[in-house]
Amino acid sequence: MSGTPKKEEAPKKDMKDVFAAAEKVKCPVQKSQIFVEEFLSEPMCGKCHPCALGTYEALVRLKRISAGLGKKADVAAIQRIADDMLEGSRCIKGKDTAKFLLEALKTDAFREHLERHCEDRECTALILYRVIPEKCVLCGLCKDACKYYAVQGEKKVSYRSGYLPFEIRQKRCVKCGDCMDACPYGAIEVIEEKSGVLV
Amino acid sequence: MAKLINLKIDGKDVQVAEGTNLIDAAETVGIHIPNLCYMKGMKGIGACRLCLVEAEGGKAPIIACNTKAKEGMNIATNTEKVREIRKFVIDLILSMHPLDCMTCTKAGVCNLQQYAYDFEIKESNFTRKKFGYPTDEANPFIKRDPEYCVLCSRCIRICKAQGTNVLEFSGRGVGAKVVTANDAPLQDSTCTFCGNCVDVCPVNALLESDRWRKGREWDYEKVDSVCLSCGNGCSVTVSRKDGEVVKINSGAPEGAAERFLCAVGRFGFDSMKGDMRLTVPMKRVNGELQETSWEDAIATVAEKLRAAGSETAFISSGNILNEDAAMLKKLADDVVKTKNIDSTVSLYSGYDAMNSATADLENADLFVLVGIAPDQWKRVLPALDGIVRKRMNEGGAKLLVLNSGEPKIASVATAFLKGDEIKMLEQLGQAVISKGVKAPKEMIEALAHVNPSDDAMNAADVFIASNAPVILASPTLYKAAADLSLIKGDAVAVPLEANAKGVVLMGMTSEGKKFSEIVSSGAKLVYAVGEMPLKDRPDTGFLVVQNSHMTDLATQADLILPAATALETDGTIVDYLGRLKQVNKVCEPAGESRQNTEIFMAVADAMGTALKKVKDTDIRKAVKTKTKASFASFKKDKGLDIDAEQFTEDMRKSTINCSRLLWLREVERGVTV
Repeated sequence: MSGTPKKEEAPKKDMKDVFAAAEKVKCPVQKSQIFVEEFLSEPMCGKCHPCALGTYEALVRLKRISAGLGKKADVAAIQRIADDMLEGSRCIKGKDTAKFLLEALKTDAFREHLERHCEDRECTALILYRVIPEKCVLCGLCKDACKYYAVQGEKKVSYRSGYLPFEIRQKRCVKCGDCMDACPYGAIEVIEEKSGVLV
Repeated sequence: MAKLINLKIDGKDVQVAEGTNLIDAAETVGIHIPNLCYMKGMKGIGACRLCLVEAEGGKAPIIACNTKAKEGMNIATNTEKVREIRKFVIDLILSMHPLDCMTCTKAGVCNLQQYAYDFEIKESNFTRKKFGYPTDEANPFIKRDPEYCVLCSRCIRICKAQGTNVLEFSGRGVGAKVVTANDAPLQDSTCTFCGNCVDVCPVNALLESDRWRKGREWDYEKVDSVCLSCGNGCSVTVSRKDGEVVKINSGAPEGAAERFLCAVGRFGFDSMKGDMRLTVPMKRVNGELQETSWEDAIATVAEKLRAAGSETAFISSGNILNEDAAMLKKLADDVVKTKNIDSTVSLYSGYDAMNSATADLENADLFVLVGIAPDQWKRVLPALDGIVRKRMNEGGAKLLVLNSGEPKIASVATAFLKGDEIKMLEQLGQAVISKGVKAPKEMIEALAHVNPSDDAMNAADVFIASNAPVILASPTLYKAAADLSLIKGDAVAVPLEANAKGVVLMGMTSEGKKFSEIVSSGAKLVYAVGEMPLKDRPDTGFLVVQNSHMTDLATQADLILPAATALETDGTIVDYLGRLKQVNKVCEPAGESRQNTEIFMAVADAMGTALKKVKDTDIRKAVKTKTKASFASFKKDKGLDIDAEQFTEDMRKSTINCSRLLWLREVERGVTV
């Protein structure tokens, strides 16, 4: 009868999926970000302000922290959002999100991320992939695996000499980890971005 | 009377009726619990979480808007904890709200501004967000700017409650936006431009379109008055700046179902300054209307009236004020000495139906609409339609519709008895009696032969189950419908003009010719007051038109007396519920136009009889005469069938043609054709 737009279909994802998605990573900052992202993508109903507006703001802050641009104020804001959502939001979903954030905030991870340090080496902005020259056998498997043409180097041909080990061009590297999986010799490692040298 | 509950709020003892929520309970002792989404009189939804309070012994804070007061509660409304949550929410909202209070039209009445001040937030601590949604300002009535929206959903809920159902959220969370179907501009939706969403918006997201740089709330003087555009006679609050009307809002108390205005009442005021406004008297000289002076005009009228004497006929519309009607009656009786004085009311109602008693719509739990078809979309008694739907949606009231046609409101009725109204009334009456309900003896006898249908039996169950039914009948069916009220409830005749009841109570009941005869029977002089549902000149020797606007009829007049509009006059009306309502002057009459009463007095003066001003006490006395409903046979008044839509349209023709409502009518016609 009415001319109003149709209500959206019932959410398919529920809180279980959100928790499961967050379990896939270890870094508390990454976990929180994925949790909030997944929560916002569907289960968040938007019926009360602390949750609807708070989680969005939390995501903005989490992204900033995981990108290594975080300040103390960002952590404080997330703390405040979580505290107030726990008390103020309307249903268990908002309170669960708040609890999850509070749990993550108990770790040292947030403070460390402000210093551009990701213990679990999962925040891509804070890490670099590097070929360990001593271990590299110049097989070229990593070069074949990289979809982004970020691995540089020449495949070794027998009985020839004068080769340089492979290198990863950081400007092209998206930190997907494919090369690491491809290397049978463990010659690729993840290092902290601040200790690395851009190629 | 509802049970009283005792509780403590912030240490103060509070006593409220059972079922009162905590926000309203706190309000009674002057404690304001902050809120953005709560609307008085409607269910709380607990979206904004500003109204969180702490109850002694409770674990977590509770929302005050949706929690009913319970005996012995001890509520703290301003603890550290809830203050922080409130501050947090306001802080978040401010992060996505433009911070342009210095030029914002809503400054001073903006709830967000007030709370930011209360919670000492100069600037949001959160990341600034902007969504870049465009403003909908394609219509001359309502400007919608989503950038300001605080997502409280008040507009959506009021629109749903009154049954217009135009607005809805699109999306969730911060990026949500209030939209119409397919996000179309308002005029392409089913919007009726009643503007009630504007009244409830706590911020600047919904605003009257023409408000920019026309002053802000603190610049306005507020005057309470009444809209006379249709039979509902809604209370209005007019905002005035520099002697001019800036905007009109509903004047009914906050939280009342009657807090409703339609587009005509809210936006029709530009017609006071429209092109067709009459500002000087005019006289026909050599077949052409020419401007003249008041002295000349009054002298001419007096002379013509003296000549016509008892063959004069006065006709007026049913939306002149009580004072005007009483004075006109005196003029006709004492000065001109004619019996031919009648109003448009006699076109659709018998005189006695207009004496019907009052009814309480706010507490009614059942509405019975007999032969009337209130319709917000056609703007026939729009407020009544809105009130009934609101009471149904928010107060759980039921609705019975008895109608021979297919009125739009029947689609939401609990039961719809389609067919001849008298027959349906008989069936309903008999069905109620057959279920063993007590009724007057005459009624049982009169209905003995009736065999009620299944539909009538079902409707009877609804009627029997109700505690306070209100029967709203078309005037022609009032007597028959009032019989039902002898069993239970109150019955009221609903006329089509704002002061129809007052005009009749003031004695404008013809002992000579009636309106329709006057128009056709060749009176020597016809003196028409107010807007008339006439296109052609009545058959008469001399036609005087006293009106505020140049109507079709006025162009054929021999003499035109410019009258003030309702907002330019002081006086009273009696609305459809029999209530005396005060009409207050908001601005001075345009040009040389004068109040009706003044003109009548001047005419009487010129004829040598000074008429005294009508006393308030006389009017009050006249209004008090209410006839008690007694049994009448189930019959309809004959010969009074008119097209309510056409009549209403005719009576507000000037208002529409001289204001931005003309745009609306053209758009609506363009859409529907």
